[in-house]
Amino acid sequence: MVDERRPRKELEKDLGKEPEKYLEVRGLHVHYGNIHALHGVDLVVGKGEIVCVVGVNGAGKSTLMWAIAGVLPITEGAVLLNGAPFVRGAASARPHEIVNLGISLVPERRRLFSALTVRENLIMGSIRRTDREGIAADLERCFSLYPVLRERIAQRAGTLSGGEQQMLAISRALMSRPSILLLDEPSLGLAPLVTDALFDTILKIREEGVTVLLVEQNALQALDIGDRGYVLRTGRIVESASSGELIENPMIREAYLGGS
Amino acid sequence: MFLQTLVTGLSIGGIYSLMAVGYSLIFSILSFSNFAHGAVIMLGAYMGLALATQLHWGLGLVVSGSVVGAGLLSVFNERVAYSVLRRRRAPSLFLMISAMGCSVFLENMVYATIGSRFYAFPEFFKRKVVDVWGSSLSLLDLFAFTVSIGAIFALHLFITRTKTGIAIRAGVNDMTMCSLMGVNTDRLISIVFFLAGAFAGVAGVFLGIKYFVYPTMGWVTNKAYIAAVIGGLGSLPGALVGGLILGVLETLVSTYLSSVLRDVFSFTMLIALLIWLPNGLMGRDTEEKV
Repeated sequence: MVDERRPRKELEKDLGKEPEKYLEVRGLHVHYGNIHALHGVDLVVGKGEIVCVVGVNGAGKSTLMWAIAGVLPITEGAVLLNGAPFVRGAASARPHEIVNLGISLVPERRRLFSALTVRENLIMGSIRRTDREGIAADLERCFSLYPVLRERIAQRAGTLSGGEQQMLAISRALMSRPSILLLDEPSLGLAPLVTDALFDTILKIREEGVTVLLVEQNALQALDIGDRGYVLRTGRIVESASSGELIENPMIREAYLGGS
Repeated sequence: MFLQTLVTGLSIGGIYSLMAVGYSLIFSILSFSNFAHGAVIMLGAYMGLALATQLHWGLGLVVSGSVVGAGLLSVFNERVAYSVLRRRRAPSLFLMISAMGCSVFLENMVYATIGSRFYAFPEFFKRKVVDVWGSSLSLLDLFAFTVSIGAIFALHLFITRTKTGIAIRAGVNDMTMCSLMGVNTDRLISIVFFLAGAFAGVAGVFLGIKYFVYPTMGWVTNKAYIAAVIGGLGSLPGALVGGLILGVLETLVSTYLSSVLRDVFSFTMLIALLIWLPNGLMGRDTEEKV
């Protein structure tokens, strides 16, 4: 499972060093009514890293993503970008303002504008931008990443296959030219081959300078492309280490990686 | 005679369509029936009337003034009565009740300030008629029909060709994701309310010219609601087709059968449609509403 393109080996040499804080989640609590979904989650994403959050269904992974994106109100804690808080209680930025900070979410189950065409979905991704040439260049970037989208450009998003929909969802997020991409369960419902190809493109996206926070149930594959990982269990971070360490940790393997 | 009836029906149908478009736009983006729409139409008519009688403006300026005035009123209505409920994620029933309250408030405000008198617009067309194949067609009817169709076609172009229009359709599809694209959804909803109000302004002026201006004239939106349901609530082409069908059939019934039966016919048609075609003629695809 070792992928030679990963800079993880180098990162592992720096084990124990605190990563440069780019995106930081500090003591985050989220409630759904009486249900306490996140219990003081702390995590750090360094610039240019791929950081994975793994955990079983219902651990609070998606809640974490929606809270960072500003959609879910938080009860306590903060989310900071470059040391400046943008999600902090009642003073939180609104979702569209968070996109303007360069943070873009690809949610679980894609949530495409299914009645709109592929082209219109991509236009929506770049809707707040005015640099025509930059938009055209980014469109080409998406097509070179996912050539099938060019063929499907006039098709309604709802008619695409699951894999194509995920490609479009990631491209739509990239069209806003984010510095941080939040990916929530990108492999959900996809065939293994499609998932492999998708994870390869996530590495390419990082090579282009985009920082990635990846939430996955498919823990082994996520950690395989990730630099570091956190394990979330019933709303609490129970383990954090380099991806290599997490993959090797027998307890983690048993609980989250299928045991073998 | 038939051609004359048809053109009259199409002109009434065009006005129904303008009103139905407003209903449909708001229903598609916020999933509630804005029962204050009739009051906005009524106030649009009063604004037009004031511009025509007090400032002696021509028809073009009267319609433009009414479009802007009713559009802004509609935005104000949303900001005051609905946005607070929206932010608290209130069920759409609450929004509907709030809309009914606004309607009662605005009508009674007009009763209290302007009074219950019926006002007539100055005669812009001086009962002019055009002869086509032996039938005398009213210039007002032809004008109302043409402007209605033109306005709805312009809205169609706006919704499909501009970035704001695409954002509106995206918002109809998934408002949360629309905000995650960087769209300020409060502003987007204001734009939708402005558009609905602008169409209400045109409809109000035409209704006022064709009939009279009075505090309860907005009740005619019952018909626009039927038109929107016939076409498929939330569908823009549906609102147009529903309005025209209702206008023409109603006029045919009142001309060839009895004018007393007109409303009986309209509501019977609504009930029949809700039983056999609950999604309306063009509302089958629930994903694409605008």
